[in-house]
Amino acid sequence: MENLGYLLAAYAVIWALVFGYVLFLQRKQRKLQRQIDALKESMEK
Amino acid sequence: MNRAFLKIITVFWKDMLTELRTREIIISVLVFALLVLVIFSFAFSIATDMTETVAPGILWVALTFGGVIGLNRIFAVEKENACLEGLMLCPVDRAVIYWGKMAGGFTFMLAVAVVVTPVFLALFNLPIFLPRLALVIVLALVGFASVGTLFSALAVNTRARDIMLPILFLPVVVPVIVSAVKATGPVLVGGPWGDMLTWLQIMIAFDIIYLVVATLVFEFVVEE
Amino acid sequence: MNSNHTLRDSILWGLGFALMIAALAMVFVYVPTEKHGGIVQRIFYFHVPVAWVAFLAFFVTFISSVLYLWKRAIKWDAVACASAEIGVIFTTLVLITGPIWAKPAWGIWWTWDARLTTSLVLWLIYVVYLLVRSLAADPARGARYGAVIGIVGFIDVPIVFLTVNLWRTQHPTTIIFEGGLTTTMLITLLVCIAAFTVLYVILVIRSAGLKTMEAEVRRLRIMKAE
Repeated sequence: MENLGYLLAAYAVIWALVFGYVLFLQRKQRKLQRQIDALKESMEK
Repeated sequence: MNRAFLKIITVFWKDMLTELRTREIIISVLVFALLVLVIFSFAFSIATDMTETVAPGILWVALTFGGVIGLNRIFAVEKENACLEGLMLCPVDRAVIYWGKMAGGFTFMLAVAVVVTPVFLALFNLPIFLPRLALVIVLALVGFASVGTLFSALAVNTRARDIMLPILFLPVVVPVIVSAVKATGPVLVGGPWGDMLTWLQIMIAFDIIYLVVATLVFEFVVEE
Repeated sequence: MNSNHTLRDSILWGLGFALMIAALAMVFVYVPTEKHGGIVQRIFYFHVPVAWVAFLAFFVTFISSVLYLWKRAIKWDAVACASAEIGVIFTTLVLITGPIWAKPAWGIWWTWDARLTTSLVLWLIYVVYLLVRSLAADPARGARYGAVIGIVGFIDVPIVFLTVNLWRTQHPTTIIFEGGLTTTMLITLLVCIAAFTVLYVILVIRSAGLKTMEAEVRRLRIMKAE
């Protein structure tokens, strides 16, 4: 099983970047949701 | 058609007059290009004995970097003197402005090339009179000007304007740089036309494609 | 979100998940080790789909850029930008997994072959795309400039590929992937391509949706300030 390290490294990088982006999107969604809620509140006043 | 051509000449001539009156700009760009030439020749001559192989690359690095600095001027001049809005108020087709500016940019780079190239040929002990090299240079500079004028207009309204143009411009003109270097090789060693032909074709295709695309797309960059 | 969207999203997620599991199973269990490449060769089954998705993403950016300049609807700009972001991520993956595969397989990290070089130039062009958008004076300008770059950049891709190809065929130090694909290899590859394409669709819909929301929030804030 030579070079197993390389194989694992390649797949690890792929998942790291893809999941990183998914997390980034999650965080953005939460921030946007907060902003929308704040806007709604201030508009009701 | 004639009227449009006259307007292009007007834009072009205005820029030429401005540049002639403020000669410091072109002289500085020229000095910069010469410096790049010398430094790279120096660096590569120390590193390797095969200077003939790297010679075309050195010439084109100098012309490319000198060119980018020069292209920045095309619209930076307008922005600095708050002339951009004035230019845009002129009731002319945006494409006319593009072609006038592009002609100016091309001429500017050609002027730099006219000085840098003989110096380069002398440094490498090559024959000075090489008409085929002139063809390669003209084709490549048209390519540079076509893309560079479009991106110059874009970069001028962006923060970090001075670095924006180079990073926009350089990746896109990679085919021109590769073709120019590959076409220059046979010229310097007196090789046959056949070796150059494909590269000239690529440059011609690039020039045509980008002149058309830039003409179509320029109005979107300068609209307000 | 109306119910149409939720149904569509569920289908996409379900399909994507199933395809990914199938892909993993096929790459690590089903497909036999390729005789020349050893087990490292299995990187190929993710490297190629990732490259395909990157190209697809930039093509989508190109189309959306044209549509945005034509129709000026925010959603086209959102798709263009989201797709470019994803394209950059996937191109980064190509540039990383390529060398990781090449080093044990052929002994070198890098070679100036047509595909790898074009990927590098592509990466540079679209990173600048993202930079210009973030450094533009205002979002509307950023959208316009982005659209121009999205169009000009994509047109360059075939030219770059052709040029580098011609350059490299004069210097055949190219790495040639020996041997064709057996049927098992082909099926595995296709499943992987399908899996990554669905992943791309999910990501681009999500990201573009968020960007549209952002634009809406900005608009509301401006309205409120008046």
